Amino acid sequence: MTFRLGYGTNGFANHRLDDALAVIAGLGYTGVALTLDHHHLDPFAPDLPRQVEKVAARLDRLGLGVVVETGARFLLDPRRKHHPTLVSDAQEVRVDFLLRAVGIAADLGADCVSFWSGIVPAGVDDDEAWRRMRSGVTEVLDGAARRGVPIALEPEPGMLVERLDQALRLRAELGSPALLGITLDVGHCVAVEPEDAAACVRRAGDLLLNVQLDDMLPGVHEHLEFGEGELDLAATLAALDEIGYTGLAGVELPRHSHAAPDVASRAMSALREASPKGALHVASHLPVGVLREDSPNGTSPLHGASHLPVSALREASGPEAEHPWLAEAERAVRADPQTIRTFFPAVGRVVGRQAVRGESDPLGVVHGTVDDVGRTRLLAALAAATGPEELAAELTSLYRFGDDAERRGVLRALASVGHQAVTAGVELVKDALRTNDTRLVAAALGPFAADHLDAHTWRHGVLKCLFLEIPLAAVAGLDRRADEELRRMVGAFAAERRAAGRAVPDDALELLRSET
Amino acid sequence: MRIFDPHVHMTSRTTDDYEAMHAAGVRALVEPAFWLGQPRTNVGSFTDYFDALIGWERFRAAQFGIRHHCAIALNPKEANDPRCAGVLDVLPRYLAKDGVVAVGEVGYDSMTPEEDEVFARQLELAVRHGLPALVHTPHRDKAAGTARTLDLVRESGLPPERVVVDHLNEMTVRAVADSGCWMGFSIYPDTKMDEARMVALLVEYGTDRVLVNSAADWGRSDPLKTHKTGLAMLAAGFDESDVDKVLWRNPVEFYGQSGRLALDEPDASPTFEGNSILRGGS
Repeated sequence: MTFRLGYGTNGFANHRLDDALAVIAGLGYTGVALTLDHHHLDPFAPDLPRQVEKVAARLDRLGLGVVVETGARFLLDPRRKHHPTLVSDAQEVRVDFLLRAVGIAADLGADCVSFWSGIVPAGVDDDEAWRRMRSGVTEVLDGAARRGVPIALEPEPGMLVERLDQALRLRAELGSPALLGITLDVGHCVAVEPEDAAACVRRAGDLLLNVQLDDMLPGVHEHLEFGEGELDLAATLAALDEIGYTGLAGVELPRHSHAAPDVASRAMSALREASPKGALHVASHLPVGVLREDSPNGTSPLHGASHLPVSALREASGPEAEHPWLAEAERAVRADPQTIRTFFPAVGRVVGRQAVRGESDPLGVVHGTVDDVGRTRLLAALAAATGPEELAAELTSLYRFGDDAERRGVLRALASVGHQAVTAGVELVKDALRTNDTRLVAAALGPFAADHLDAHTWRHGVLKCLFLEIPLAAVAGLDRRADEELRRMVGAFAAERRAAGRAVPDDALELLRSET
Repeated sequence: MRIFDPHVHMTSRTTDDYEAMHAAGVRALVEPAFWLGQPRTNVGSFTDYFDALIGWERFRAAQFGIRHHCAIALNPKEANDPRCAGVLDVLPRYLAKDGVVAVGEVGYDSMTPEEDEVFARQLELAVRHGLPALVHTPHRDKAAGTARTLDLVRESGLPPERVVVDHLNEMTVRAVADSGCWMGFSIYPDTKMDEARMVALLVEYGTDRVLVNSAADWGRSDPLKTHKTGLAMLAAGFDESDVDKVLWRNPVEFYGQSGRLALDEPDASPTFEGNSILRGGS
């Protein structure tokens, strides 16, 4: 293998830096991605030069290569995560920080400084943000040239530069500076890139200065352990080998600090297994594919998502990789349906709460959220294990005792299980339509409502969407069920708006245009 | 001074209180479930209350930059009312929810057999759900009630470091300090503890395993007592780190055992389920 395997210190946020480095080196990693943070080599410390010297000595003693990462969450602004960025009004704060990072990287002998663009602030258009990005990078490049340190731009989902092609375009626009390269997070490739991580590696080619390793699911920006998402790790590592990559490939699991040593150990096992043959010594004690046996039938929700050996995850994963906690919860619910009462509320804590299609639907109003998907799976398991009466009773209880997210979960799951409990399902949909909660109303008007709700209630539901400014894309079966009466109602709504001098929503106009 | 009030009943307080608390440094709190000053008559009253604790109240606090968590339980006072016994059956659903960081308040009021039974069952729920427990000690016959509380905790199998025994005073603190449980003190305008006595106890017992709360509710009470205790500590020669430990790091450590504390900036979306706290708006 031509490159170093490392681990990101942001995945050891609860460790002292010295301890983190020792644990990482002890597991067999030969590099670290060092995120400068208030407790990890604070770039604003009064005795910074001495601190840098100490860290450099420690890295040297442990035989660790290093890249400098600049994605700390609250280093520059204690209240706003990642703020300010290169595309903020206060861009100069970020530029100053990146220049400090360049200095630290030079003194540490780091491969490069890795950085990202930033979320485009409200009220700033993309063109302006792009201009800011160009000017900011240009300033940092000046500093980088003075110290001879390369900088590597990381495409980050949700930010101005979120895909590899945008990063390459920015580089080309700046005249392809020699010191500007690319950081590639291979999990991001799964989440947002049009091609897989191996293809992205090949496309970045010689420009690749830094690689972050983690797993992800398509469309979901959540850093997962290997095997929990859809990354083909073996193919990705093989591609790095193939292009002759010589930098650091560091595991990037910033939300796993609570269990960092175990997580880092599992990651190393997975990397060994997936490495090109003969490239790394393969440990002989790799866990065999057996799922954890302890008490999935207990009433206590399983804590944490990541107690399974990596190889077990892989065996448990079908073509659509499964979340291990969910898989265990599903089995528990099938074995003892009552356990859904404590699993169902816990879903968001474990699988996350992001929108399924965050780019076009940031709040999940139209397409739902990943916890909705998880809850649907639990209810499908319940439906498979109980009769229609029990299912109806539990759907009602989960909804009645549920918080807002749980209620949405029940409503969205009706698309899959509602046909087995139609009367109860209709009552829940009607309850949701009585509220003013936009996400609840939207969740209520899915395929189940399209199939089972009476015409009067359904039409009023659609009209309520127009009032609450819920996109009608959230309403399933609109084309099929829209009738003359609905058009009359929407027409009257539009007339009322116009009479009041107020704008008529585009969705309403479109529906009226669809009249045949 | 950053403050985490580990026991305060915000449902009974006004938005002025929230404003004043934020201004004084309160950034997070736990609201344990308790009684309302008049008896509830059925299980539904409890579930509506629990729904408010996990939803509306959390939203209201967020509007003032305060992270709201809660503890859920059948309180000792109402444990004696057979009309409310069914609450125990719905507790497991609520104990699994986001933002629920403990079982509480549990404990004794009049030390009846019904209270024994309900208290023990709820400690068992804490064990099963991996949560800490917030235990109230009685207003009457407090020392005996505290001793009996500690016996029951020992029998429950819940580790002492997952239990806070609350409303302590000079008469009851020693037994709790020796038990390994956390020591909770409610600072009140005239009953329970005051700031000066609290500082004296901190001098004597140190700052480990101590939680200071306002326990403010619908009665005469003061949600700024945590802040005032911090000032009294500084005046008595404690340094800022001691104050931070008692008023922030200790409650974070205790409730952090739930794995469900969220201490980032609260999401201050302007409405909750379509409703806002603004008048004249929606």
